[in-house]
Amino acid sequence: MNGVLKRRLLFVVGPFTGLVMFASVVMIATYLTNREYKEPYRAPAAIVDTTPRVEGLAAETAAAEATAKATPYAEAEYRTFPIVGSRVAIWAVAQLHLLFAAFVLAVPLFAFIIEVIGYKTKDSRYDRLAYEFTKLLSTSFSLTATFGAFLTFMLIALYPKFTNYLMSVFSPTFLPYVLLFFLEAFFLYTYYYGWGKFHPLVHIGLGLGLNLVGTAIMFIANAWLTFMMSPRGISDQGAVLSVWDAVWNHTWMPINVHRVIANIAFGGSVAAAYAAFKFLQAETDEERAHYDWMGYIGNFVAISAFLPLPFAGYWLAKEIYAYSQTLGLTMMGGAFSWLFIIQAVLIGNLFLAANYYLWLGMGRVEGMQPLQKFIKFLLIGIAVCFAVWATPRSIIATVSELRAMGGSTHPILGYLGVMSAKNTAVNILILTTFMSFLLYRRTGKVATVSWAKTGHAAQLTIFAAAAIIVVFLGIYGYFVEATVRIGLSVPQVSSVLAAMVSITAIDVFLFRGASRTGEVRWGKIPAISQYVLIFIAVTFTWLMGLMGYVRSGLRQHWHVYGVIRDTSVDAFTPTLGFATRVVSVTVLLFFLLIGFVFWITTLHDRPDFEQTKTRRREGSGEVSPEFAVGTAGEHRRTS
Amino acid sequence: MTIPHTVRVGVLVVAATSFYTYVGQMVPQKEVLPPQETQIRADLTTADMVKVGREIMDGKGLCFTCHTIGKTGALRFPDLEGVDTRAQSRVPGLTDIEYFAQSIYEPEKFIVPGFNPGMPVINKPPIGLNDQEILCVIAYLQTLGGKPTVTLQTSHAYYKAPGAPGGPPASGVTAEQGAAPGGAPPAPPGSAPLPAPGKPPAPVTPPGAPGTPPASPAAAPAPVAPAKGTR
Repeated sequence: MNGVLKRRLLFVVGPFTGLVMFASVVMIATYLTNREYKEPYRAPAAIVDTTPRVEGLAAETAAAEATAKATPYAEAEYRTFPIVGSRVAIWAVAQLHLLFAAFVLAVPLFAFIIEVIGYKTKDSRYDRLAYEFTKLLSTSFSLTATFGAFLTFMLIALYPKFTNYLMSVFSPTFLPYVLLFFLEAFFLYTYYYGWGKFHPLVHIGLGLGLNLVGTAIMFIANAWLTFMMSPRGISDQGAVLSVWDAVWNHTWMPINVHRVIANIAFGGSVAAAYAAFKFLQAETDEERAHYDWMGYIGNFVAISAFLPLPFAGYWLAKEIYAYSQTLGLTMMGGAFSWLFIIQAVLIGNLFLAANYYLWLGMGRVEGMQPLQKFIKFLLIGIAVCFAVWATPRSIIATVSELRAMGGSTHPILGYLGVMSAKNTAVNILILTTFMSFLLYRRTGKVATVSWAKTGHAAQLTIFAAAAIIVVFLGIYGYFVEATVRIGLSVPQVSSVLAAMVSITAIDVFLFRGASRTGEVRWGKIPAISQYVLIFIAVTFTWLMGLMGYVRSGLRQHWHVYGVIRDTSVDAFTPTLGFATRVVSVTVLLFFLLIGFVFWITTLHDRPDFEQTKTRRREGSGEVSPEFAVGTAGEHRRTS
Repeated sequence: MTIPHTVRVGVLVVAATSFYTYVGQMVPQKEVLPPQETQIRADLTTADMVKVGREIMDGKGLCFTCHTIGKTGALRFPDLEGVDTRAQSRVPGLTDIEYFAQSIYEPEKFIVPGFNPGMPVINKPPIGLNDQEILCVIAYLQTLGGKPTVTLQTSHAYYKAPGAPGGPPASGVTAEQGAAPGGAPPAPPGSAPLPAPGKPPAPVTPPGAPGTPPASPAAAPAPVAPAKGTR
C-alpha cells in the first residue's frame, strides 16, 4: 500500500517539480540576459546636429586654453608641504642636515689632533684610534650632503620668495662655497682612503686641509643664517649695500666660535656613543679595552669642549642684545624664557652624567680610594647648582597658590630664578666638573716633584678663590643696579676660566714624572658606564636641536629680522611643547640614521663572505676581524 | 632571557628623548601670534586712543617685554608708573608729549640715569608702529600719572598732523604699518618724513590746537642729555 501511494505521489510531484525547475531556469536566464551590457542606441554621427550646448562647451574649453596660455608668470610666495606643513618639514630637514654637518666637521678635528699625538709619541694606538674615528666620516659625509641638497630644494620649493632674496644677497658666496665643498670631498676621501698610504706628515697635512676647508664651509653657511637674525649691510628696504657687511653681521663670529666648540662637544659625544655601542657588543677583553679607551677619549673631547661652551654662549647672547634689545629680551624674558629652564634640565643632566662616568671610570685605576671621599662633595655641589639653575623666576601655580605667594614669584625661591643666581650656579657647576676631571686625571698617580705640597696648596687656593669670587659677585648682584649687575658676569666667567687654565698648567708640571700607584685597566668598567655615554650623546643631540630652535625661532614672524616679514600661515611662534616634540622626532631620526652609519662602519670591519665561509668550514674560533692581523679593513699605518 | 644590547640602546634613546619631550610639555605653553594690525579710525577720541594705546603696548609695540608698571626693585628698564609726571619735567624744554615722542622716535637721545641704552626705534621695523599708533601710545602713557590730552590731530617734533602748518593736507584716512619688502604696506599718507639722523626738527606743535598741551616755554632745541641715564 505504501509503495502504491509513493508511486502516485511521484507521478504528481515529478511533473510539478519539472515545471518549477523550467520556470526557474527561464527566470535566471532572463535575469542574466537583462544584465548583459548592450551598446546604447546612437544615431549615426553624420546625422547629429550640433546643439547650442555643445557649441557653448567647446567655446568654454577654447577660452580656458587661451586664458591659460596668456597667464603671465607670477612668483609664488609660499607653497605648502603636505601633512606637517612647510615649517616643520624645513625644520626637520635643516636640523638633520646640521646634526650630520656638525658631526662631519667635528670628528676630523679631534681625529687630526689624536693623529698628531700618535705621530709625536710614536704610539700606534693613537693612530689606530684616529683611524677608527675617521671611519665614521664617509657615510656621514654623504648623508650631510644629501640633507643639504634636500634642504636647498625644500627652501626653493616651499619658500621661493624668501629664498630668492637670500640668494640675491649672498650670491657672491655661492661659488666659493661649492669650490670649498669639492675640496672638502677631496681632502676627506684622500684622508680616509690614504690612511697609511702616505708619509705621516703628508697625511697629517691632508687632515689639516680637511679641517680648514670644513671650517671655512661652516663659516660661509653661518653667514647666511646669522644674517637672518641680525641683518647688516642692507638698506632699510632690504637692498644690498655691502655683501661683506652682510656676511660679517653682529652674530656671525659668535656663532662661528660657538658652533666650532659645540660641534666638537657633539662630535665627541657621538663618537663616544659609537665606542660604547662597540664595547657592549665586544666579546674579548682586548676589544673591550680598546673601546673603553675610545669611549673615554670621545667623552673627554666632548666634556673638554662643553666646559667653555657656556662662555661662547654668553658672547653670543651679548651680541644679540647689542644688536637688538628686543631680540635679546624676547630670548631671555619673553616667549622663549621657559626654554632656558628646559635647557637647564638638559645641561644639568649632562654635567651629572659626565661626572658619573668619570667617577665610574676611577674604578679602572688601582689606588683611587684616597680620592673617592671627595666625590660625595662634588655630587652635592652639582645637585645644588642644578637645582638653582632649573629654578624658574615665576612658578606655575593655581590661583590660591599664587595668592599665598603674593604673585607668580615665590617669596624665597624667586631669588634663585634670576640671572645672578643662575650665573653663579653654572659657573660653580663648571668648576666642579673641572675638579672631577682633575681628580680623574691624577687617579693612580703621586706627584714626586720637590714642590708637590706647594703645588697642591696653590691649586686648592686658586680653586677656592675662583669659587669665592663667583659666589660673592652672585650675591653682590642682588644689591646693585641693572647696569652694574649685567657686567658682573664678566669677572665671574673670567675667574673660572683663569682658574681652569692656571690649575691645569700647574697640574701638568706637578705630575710630570709622577710615580704610579696603579695601572689603568682599560675595559674594567661597569657596562652601565657605556649606557651613560649613549645618554650623553642623546642629551647633546637634543640640546643642539633645542638651541637651534631658539636661535631660529627668536626671529618670530620675520624671515630676516626687521626686513623680510613672514606672512605665511606658519608665521606664529609655536608652543614649547610643540617645539620639543619636533626636536624629539628629529633626534630619533638622527639616531636611526647614525645607527645606520655605525652599522655600515661595522660592515667595513667584517671579513669577506668567502673568508667567513672558509673559517666556518675550518671550524676556527670567532675573532673580531679588526683585532686580527691582516684582515679586511686593516689600514694601519706601518711606519 | 638576555635582552640584546641593540634593543637596550634603542630603549635608552627613546626613553631619554621621551623624558625631554615630557619636560617640554611641563613648562607653560604659549603660542605667540604675529602682531595684529591696529585699525585706527580718524574720529577716535582721546579716551578711545588711550584704550588703543594700551592694546598696542600690550601687543604690537612689545613695550611690556621690557617695561613694567608699578614694579620696584632692581629693574632692567624704567618702570612706567607715574611716568607722565616725570615726563613733564624730565628734559627741560620738552613737554610730556614731546618727551614721549623723543623716547619713541629717538630713544638713544636721552637715557634715564641708572639704566643702559637699549630701547629700539619704535617707528621702524621690527616693531614699526606708525605715527597714529604712536600717538595712541602717548595718550596711554599720559594716563600714567597725568591726564591724556593728545588727539590724532596733535603734532610733535617727529610728526606733523594732517592740516597742521607744514603738515600734509588733512585726510580722513589713517594708516597701517610701514616698512619692509616682506609685504608690509608702505608708510601711511599723512606721516611726515623723519628728521635726518642727529638733526631733530624743532617742535611744531601748533599752539592752541585742539587737544594739544600748552606751548612749551622753551621752544628752543632741548639741551644735550647726559650720556647715561634712563627713560
